[in-house]
Amino acid sequence: MPEKRIIVHNLTKQFYCFDKSYKVIPWLVTRKGYTSVKPALQDISFEIDQGEVVGVIGKNGAGKSTLMKILAGITFPTSGEVIVNGTIGSLINLNAGFNPDFTGRRNIYYKGMLLGMSREHLDEIMEDVIRFADIGEYFDMPARTYSSGMIARLGYALAIFSDPDILITDEVFAVGDKVFREKSRAKTLELFRSGKSILFSSHSDGLIKAFCTRVIYVRGHHIVFDGDVKKGLDMYNQDLGFEESDNMD
Amino acid sequence: MFPSVRFTINEYIQNRKLLIKLAYVHMSQSTIRSTWGVVWVYIHDILYFTAFVLFRILLTGNSGGDGMHGVEYLMTGLVPWLLISEVLNSATNAIRLNKVIIQSIKFPITILPGVEVLSIFMKRLPSFLFIVVVCIYYGHLANIHVLLALYYIFATFAILFSATLLFSAIIAVSDDFHQIYMAFMRVLFFSLPIMWNFRTLEGTQYAFWGRILKLNPLIYIIQGFRDAFVLGNTQPMEYTVYFWGMTLAVFWFGSFVQRRMQRFYSDFI
Repeated sequence: MPEKRIIVHNLTKQFYCFDKSYKVIPWLVTRKGYTSVKPALQDISFEIDQGEVVGVIGKNGAGKSTLMKILAGITFPTSGEVIVNGTIGSLINLNAGFNPDFTGRRNIYYKGMLLGMSREHLDEIMEDVIRFADIGEYFDMPARTYSSGMIARLGYALAIFSDPDILITDEVFAVGDKVFREKSRAKTLELFRSGKSILFSSHSDGLIKAFCTRVIYVRGHHIVFDGDVKKGLDMYNQDLGFEESDNMD
Repeated sequence: MFPSVRFTINEYIQNRKLLIKLAYVHMSQSTIRSTWGVVWVYIHDILYFTAFVLFRILLTGNSGGDGMHGVEYLMTGLVPWLLISEVLNSATNAIRLNKVIIQSIKFPITILPGVEVLSIFMKRLPSFLFIVVVCIYYGHLANIHVLLALYYIFATFAILFSATLLFSAIIAVSDDFHQIYMAFMRVLFFSLPIMWNFRTLEGTQYAFWGRILKLNPLIYIIQGFRDAFVLGNTQPMEYTVYFWGMTLAVFWFGSFVQRRMQRFYSDFI
């Protein structure tokens, strides 16, 4: 029986909206005075075992990103429980936390520090990060001279080599050129084989089919399907077909 | 009442290493692209002081009251003012300007105001040597009282840190508040006894307004540095008690707001 990595139980997330920004101030004290409540996720429950690769699919605004952010500990549920066993590495906005005036090397130390990694650990993985990011001489130049792809490569390399038990990725497999994409796919498969749990959201059917052992389909803030990849994708595409949606990649 | 204070203290103790490292990085980061780095801070300061000293002497002559030279009076106010204004103007944006980090990295957000205040203190503390130099020049710095300056530096840190804890949270979530706050910051300088002296108000019809202005705890600090470096006085006990009462109240309220906001920052910013 594999260990449970993530247990989500009756999770609900709402956003409070204010039509005027001064109304937030009394709200800080009284918790009253918001204009409306916008639901993002309603009554969601699921579990993820060790070694599972779970794809999260759904239309824009269905709540995928909010779910990812809650699991990554960036935003917090309104009610319900989230239990995470193990360390989480999140690939959400790879460019975040890099300082344009620092060199690539210093940025790795800087972002690693923000992520709570120790200096010794960063020293250990530095060689791997350099090799994987593969940005050559740019690694010792200020990040402002980088192309956007290079920064994303650094971010990706750092997140991957920080050796998390659970990897959460939100729409980031589109980073880099073809070579890098192939490399990151290969690396993700390697992580999968080494028993990491991976949760990733994507709009690409191809990627989901290639990686996932299971899909979770989020529609209208609820989980409407949880299970077999093919069935989930079929259901999703059927829905899109009915609703004449934009993007099927 | 006290869980908020405990929350803040816990966050800072648990993340103390990160706090100090980040403060150091932020301090060096502001000047990393210029050749002279942190030296520029002092070049700016010296120009600023010179302009004010010339202005003051032309306007009101050499006397600072209480046997002080005008330049001493001005410098003992201006040096702490530069520290105060930098903290209140830039450190209070600590949370607002770190939107990307807050929305993409799991991070103890409550320490951000502390990081900024600490980095500004590290950068600015040597500027108190300007006061020492000026006071030695005018021959007033013999008194053991000068050790009180250390107490006032601690007091400055306490009130500024508490204020930043409070204002950084509210500024981050309310642009309306941010505008009001900036408007107040513009006039703050003129409400502090840096260019003028409370003595000139005594016995006039404006004495009442002088007492109202003194409700601002920053005046305790400005007067305090003057006492410590030049006059060798101590301030009235009631004013000291009032200052620390205010500081603790602001610290508590700041912690309260931080704790309340902790789970909501990434939704609001």
